[in-house]
Amino acid sequence: MLVGIDVGGTFTDGVVLADGEVVRWCKRRTDTGRLQETIEAVIDELLPQGSGREVERIVLSTTLITNLLATGQLEKAALVVIPGSGLNPYELRLADNYYVLQGGIDFRGREITPINRSEVRETARKIKQAGIRKVAVVGKFSQRNPSQEEQVASIIHNEYPDLDILMGHRVSGELNFPRRAVTTYYTLITREHWSRFADEIEKVIRARQITAPIEIMKADGGTMSLDASRQMPCQTAFSGPAASTMGAFALTMDDKTSVVVDIGGTTTDLSFILQGEPLHASKGAKLGGRYTHVKALAVRSVALGGDSVIRIQDGRITIGPDRKGDAACFGGPAPTPTDAFNLLEGRKLGDPELSYRAMAGLVKDETKVADLARAVVEEFIDMLCRNIQEMMRSWEQEPAYRVWEIVNRRRVKLDRVVGIGAPAAIVIPRLASRMGCQGFVTRLSAVGNALGAVVARPTLQLTLHADTQTGTYSTDGQVKKLPNLGRIQMKDIKELSEKELKFLAEEKGMADYFSEREFFLEEQFNVIRGWTTSGRIFDVGITISPGVIKGFKGVKI
Amino acid sequence: MKPTGLVFFPAFDWAISPTHPEREERLLYTRDQIFEEGIMDLPQITEYQPQMATDRDVARTHFCVPTVRDQATDAHRISCGGALTIADALMRGEIRNGFALVRPPGHHSMRVSHGNRGFCNINNEAIMVDYLRHRYNVKRIAIVDTDVHHGDGTQEIFWHDPDVLFISFHQDGRTLYPGTGFTNEIGGPLAQGYTLNVPLPPGTGDQGILYVLDHLVLPVLKEFNPELVVNSAGQDNHYTDPLANMRFTARGYAELNRRLAPDIAVLEGGYSVETALPYINMGIIMAMAGIDYQYLYEPDYDPGLAQESRKGMEIIKQIIEVLQKTWRDRDKLVENARNTREKFYQRHKYIYYDTDNVREQQLETLRLCPTCPGYLTIDSLARFASGFENRVCCVSIPWQACPICVRDANEHYEAIKKRHDRHEFIYLQDKSNDRFLRYECQTRKEFNIE
Repeated sequence: MLVGIDVGGTFTDGVVLADGEVVRWCKRRTDTGRLQETIEAVIDELLPQGSGREVERIVLSTTLITNLLATGQLEKAALVVIPGSGLNPYELRLADNYYVLQGGIDFRGREITPINRSEVRETARKIKQAGIRKVAVVGKFSQRNPSQEEQVASIIHNEYPDLDILMGHRVSGELNFPRRAVTTYYTLITREHWSRFADEIEKVIRARQITAPIEIMKADGGTMSLDASRQMPCQTAFSGPAASTMGAFALTMDDKTSVVVDIGGTTTDLSFILQGEPLHASKGAKLGGRYTHVKALAVRSVALGGDSVIRIQDGRITIGPDRKGDAACFGGPAPTPTDAFNLLEGRKLGDPELSYRAMAGLVKDETKVADLARAVVEEFIDMLCRNIQEMMRSWEQEPAYRVWEIVNRRRVKLDRVVGIGAPAAIVIPRLASRMGCQGFVTRLSAVGNALGAVVARPTLQLTLHADTQTGTYSTDGQVKKLPNLGRIQMKDIKELSEKELKFLAEEKGMADYFSEREFFLEEQFNVIRGWTTSGRIFDVGITISPGVIKGFKGVKI
Repeated sequence: MKPTGLVFFPAFDWAISPTHPEREERLLYTRDQIFEEGIMDLPQITEYQPQMATDRDVARTHFCVPTVRDQATDAHRISCGGALTIADALMRGEIRNGFALVRPPGHHSMRVSHGNRGFCNINNEAIMVDYLRHRYNVKRIAIVDTDVHHGDGTQEIFWHDPDVLFISFHQDGRTLYPGTGFTNEIGGPLAQGYTLNVPLPPGTGDQGILYVLDHLVLPVLKEFNPELVVNSAGQDNHYTDPLANMRFTARGYAELNRRLAPDIAVLEGGYSVETALPYINMGIIMAMAGIDYQYLYEPDYDPGLAQESRKGMEIIKQIIEVLQKTWRDRDKLVENARNTREKFYQRHKYIYYDTDNVREQQLETLRLCPTCPGYLTIDSLARFASGFENRVCCVSIPWQACPICVRDANEHYEAIKKRHDRHEFIYLQDKSNDRFLRYECQTRKEFNIE
């Protein structure tokens, strides 16, 4: 028995999957102030008393981090940067307690300017005086050489051993210093909160005799263990849309190209599955308005949902972008697309008379209400179409840095629209026919997100940068010596990265999925100085990408 | 404010040869630097994917021998297409200005292309200029070539065009490839003064180059009043460049671009891949996007580098005086040329292709038209190292051509076709009607270049 729970902004969905069949599911309003109570209630609704021991896996996706960052109820932290040459470092200022230090490392990990130890001590003193307990230390190119971050951290630690310090190279090994600074800082200010939440969830679950591993959904469409999430809480942001995409993936399980349309109350989230592979965002998730190193699926959130307000402005119908409350049929204050759907499709929701009255308020002639409802659906579909096409275009036009990538230009040919969320049944067939492709909706669409969480497998990604001239390689926040292999070839570097990935996978308890690894980046450059080759630089990326757990062959629809 | 457009195309899978300066590694560290800076995440920057220049785009500017396909590989088309993409984005009003950070380069490619010279097969800026005119009807364009090497290809292509102002400053041709670019090279008879060359003494740094900019380039540009300014942005004036001997710094490049404020910059040369390019490219992007660059410096930056020697400054001042006079006298010089009452102007040219080891001889004939820049005929003989020879005849009609030049040029093309035993290929490039033909003498077949 597998349990998946998706804690959304408005609703929390849960499913129980057994032998490829959804045996129970439920939907409940989310109590944002008391998430653990909502989760507790959903678990109790899903699992008959005493059946906890039968649970083999439990997966959770939650908006907690997004909410925390949005409401700003976080602990204070200082951000200390070592920017070296480049952009004006003072424009990055994302913390009130922001300090710019001397120092500098270049792209090959060479020290350009040493740090100034007394400046570091002075900075530590200021941080302490400001009553701050947490310090993020982030240097430009620290992933190529972490020594300056380490020196600064160790000086601060020696001065004030009680300070909680997090170094940038431990958070991300990818290029992009501002994203590393943002990710490190947000990790630092959310991880205590998250850890407390994780403790409570664990207590709730264990109290029900569930001994199965607890996993948390990540923005990239994969999962990680609850324990791993304590180190990297930011990766749980946007796990809702990721769960929906994986839900669509689990429902279809083929290598077609689909757009996934997850229609919620306030927004509709669009994402893509390209020839059977969920599409990732090229820039990483945006948290608090800033790009981060959190790998995420490419999701476009359109301010258009079942509860968006319908208006008529200058003779034209507008939907959203705001939501004033529930749909009129559920006692809400304004007509919404849900009301329009209700009138067109059998008047099954809430009090259909309320839907009718709200819609009638927009037109003078009551005989025109049905026309209005149809026009609302058309406008809804128009808006989705435009956004889907823009998303496809922007993916096709994403920058590429090799001749063959430009010559073999990307083209999206959409096979299918997959619907997730309650209003999907009405919108998706019409949207699909407009887009000239197949539509896909099932009775499980309403809980597709929770289904996605329950079957998503763990993911892991690793990039490795090796420089034979310096004899080092960097990966996962560490710089190590290259083994002595004589003339190092690409295959040696690939083997090395597999070894590193295997180690990480074992550490994270996901060794079962090591065999699913794939290389997504293989670059090799000869370093030529004075017309002879004096070294080689390799960039290799290896991943266990999003997919479904072992043994899952599809779900009975 | 609108963003700055950026096409970054490092061609990580293309090299002239494994150890050639024009190799995969060239923009590797630039990639590392601009990605680590996260500059593409800023709202001031919009990144574009390059398009591929078509045969027609290339044929509008060049006579590629025997065909466009033979001279322009996919890599060349993408590099050139990067410039076209920036031009499109600019003309659509999406960006305030743009930088095509692309390789391979192009500014040594001339109108006739038998092969690669100075690392270039086709001329990215020139193709972009002809594209802008054809597609967007832009008339007056200024190209400022800031590469350390004389932009001899671009100069040759616009030699007879008074609507393109070409200014190149570079290390003195007596001390560096391609050995041209002296103050007496001022354009064809009907476009005199619209080509200006500033041969700088070796060792010139920020102070000297910015002096040339302030006292010559900017005043001339102001008077010329172009619709667009293009920076042919080579980066080999840098003090660490291995192929030249100048002392320009990354901050100097940024300052130059701030003052010049080009609408479009296109990367040309620059082969100090580790110590210069990452910093200069950052500097150009930052300056064009209006981003503060006071914290940008090379690892071994020394403010003393910017200082010019007194002797150097004197030479620079003398050169500027000569060129100011040429610029002042330009109308008179053109008038004199028209008044010679000669029907045609002829010159012999010798062109060496260093990369491909081709020796080309040209006889260029220009109709001294009283009303337009005149049509041009080039009889070109290329001798390859293998002993192979290729003789072609090229007829080019400028986009501003008068009806008489269009008629005469067409008649001339037909006449040469009849005497097909002398040439391998005959070309007609009619920019005024955007029509490009290639005639194969051996098979007597004519092809429309599409």
